[in-house]
Amino acid sequence: MLVGCLFLLALVVSGCSSSKAQGFTFKADVFLKALNPTSPGVTGVLYLTILISVVAQLIGVALGVLAALGKMARILPLRIIANTYIWFFRGTPLLVQLVFFYYGFGAAHLWGWDDVTLFGFLIPGVIVAAMAILGVNEGAYMAEIIRAGILAVDPGQTEAAKSLGMTYRQNMTRIVLPQAARVIIPPLGNEFNNMLKTTSLIFVLGVVETYNHYVILQGQNFRPFEAYAACALWFLLMTTIWGFVQGAIERRFARGTATGSSAARGPGLRSRLFGSRPQAETGIDALGGH
Amino acid sequence: MTTPNISTNLLGAIGGVPRPDVDVVVDARDVNKWFGRLHVLKDVCLQVKRQETVVVIGPSGSGKTTFIRCVNHLEKIQSGRIFVNGHLIGYRETAAGGGLPIVGGLPVVSRLPVIGRRRNGGGGTKLIEDREKNIARQRQEIGMVFQRFNLFPHMTALDNIIEAPIHVRGMPHDEAVVIGRALLDRVGLAAKENVYPNQLSGGQQQRIAIARALAMKPALMLFDEPTSALDPEMIGEVLEVMKELAREGMTMIVVSHEMGFAREVANRVVMMDDGVVVEEGTPDQVFSAPSQERTKTFLSKIL
Repeated sequence: MLVGCLFLLALVVSGCSSSKAQGFTFKADVFLKALNPTSPGVTGVLYLTILISVVAQLIGVALGVLAALGKMARILPLRIIANTYIWFFRGTPLLVQLVFFYYGFGAAHLWGWDDVTLFGFLIPGVIVAAMAILGVNEGAYMAEIIRAGILAVDPGQTEAAKSLGMTYRQNMTRIVLPQAARVIIPPLGNEFNNMLKTTSLIFVLGVVETYNHYVILQGQNFRPFEAYAACALWFLLMTTIWGFVQGAIERRFARGTATGSSAARGPGLRSRLFGSRPQAETGIDALGGH
Repeated sequence: MTTPNISTNLLGAIGGVPRPDVDVVVDARDVNKWFGRLHVLKDVCLQVKRQETVVVIGPSGSGKTTFIRCVNHLEKIQSGRIFVNGHLIGYRETAAGGGLPIVGGLPVVSRLPVIGRRRNGGGGTKLIEDREKNIARQRQEIGMVFQRFNLFPHMTALDNIIEAPIHVRGMPHDEAVVIGRALLDRVGLAAKENVYPNQLSGGQQQRIAIARALAMKPALMLFDEPTSALDPEMIGEVLEVMKELAREGMTMIVVSHEMGFAREVANRVVMMDDGVVVEEGTPDQVFSAPSQERTKTFLSKIL
């Protein structure tokens, strides 16, 4: 991570020096103003990016569970529905899905994307559309992750649950999914990291989120280098903070496993910042995905 | 593939509720099962009376584990009937040719086994697999202990035990905890209630697994080689719990290689080989004076 920061810094500096010949000067004040969270609009768009990411990811996980169970169902129509869903949303670009379901469906009067009031908050239709389409797309990817997690649970667990008189639903919610979660959490963290960045695509719907904010800014101040550098730094900050949260969640979910005690300690701050030597890595570190 | 057949002594059971014989807990009649082309159970008949302990022995691959897994419908059967407390396990009998059977709101075409068609023409009955909910309800009365324990690793010892009473039986949490603690005490692990399974020895895990099954107050306990995955020094503690259970009058079917246990506890020993019940009798009869050559060969190898 530190190396990454240095690389970014070097890029900025080299950019300044080599471009000077063509008359480019890096304007630190413009950059800092663009980066400043107290500048108009910045905190708002950051919140929006995080909010849309969280909601879309939650939708994705819920749909992913349903699609994974559908894919493994004994009833053929359920398998067909789940497979078709996954096939479509993994087989078309997210950008196309966004414009098709928002503009396309709107034009065809298939779905209006009305504003929604939830817990007293009015959510504009376009935000609802962004959350829904990102979430539905994510669900197709989560399905495979969740299916792998479910398959990783020892079949003996299901037999024990059945022998105690549990139904399919009880077995899934009480026994299998909590254990599958342990396998699902690391890739889920990576999916959310992706989601934070992918939300930038919803600029095509006209939503002013973090990326679109800086597109607009550089259009006003004609300083794309400073604006987009600030934009990149904000995304980097969000994904970095998420990395730490992810590590904490993974250690929490490691309890009750053979590696639980070592995972409870987990990699220290030092190894997280500077990386750890390969020979020092234990199995759980490798799982931790840093 | 061989067509499932049905022998004549089954006919008495077809088309009606079996006579409620209060003394018979398990009544397996002409059970046949195939794994693909492999015929693993061949016309297996076995009756287990209330408070009886039956130990099933036999070489590996003889079908003894498969058989007890059929008793709580963890395995499907292709023909025959298994009754527990007078209830047909896993299947429903319907008149043949009466349209598509409806299971779980969806018509079931031909994926479920059509078993036991009466041969003497006219009507006849079909067995179709029962609804999942009904099978789950039947399993509540049948406890099972597995070779590999299968404790829930994300729950403490106590939570393992109270899980099913709370979520399946709907018992209040406090009441379940009282019962759970009593059971932990009974298997000698009262101090381990907040310990996760991976911190327990194999013998301790198996005793928790027995307590977990007993928490549902089953009418019948099935033990599938409960000591085969244990280190030798831990076998005794598990067998002790099982002996205690037998003395208290639990009805048990035990698949085991523990001949000492069978001799001491079993009311009856059943010898299986190649999917067939070769011989059954009291432990003395089977161990001291086996009538069948296959039993003699098997016993000479393990004793």
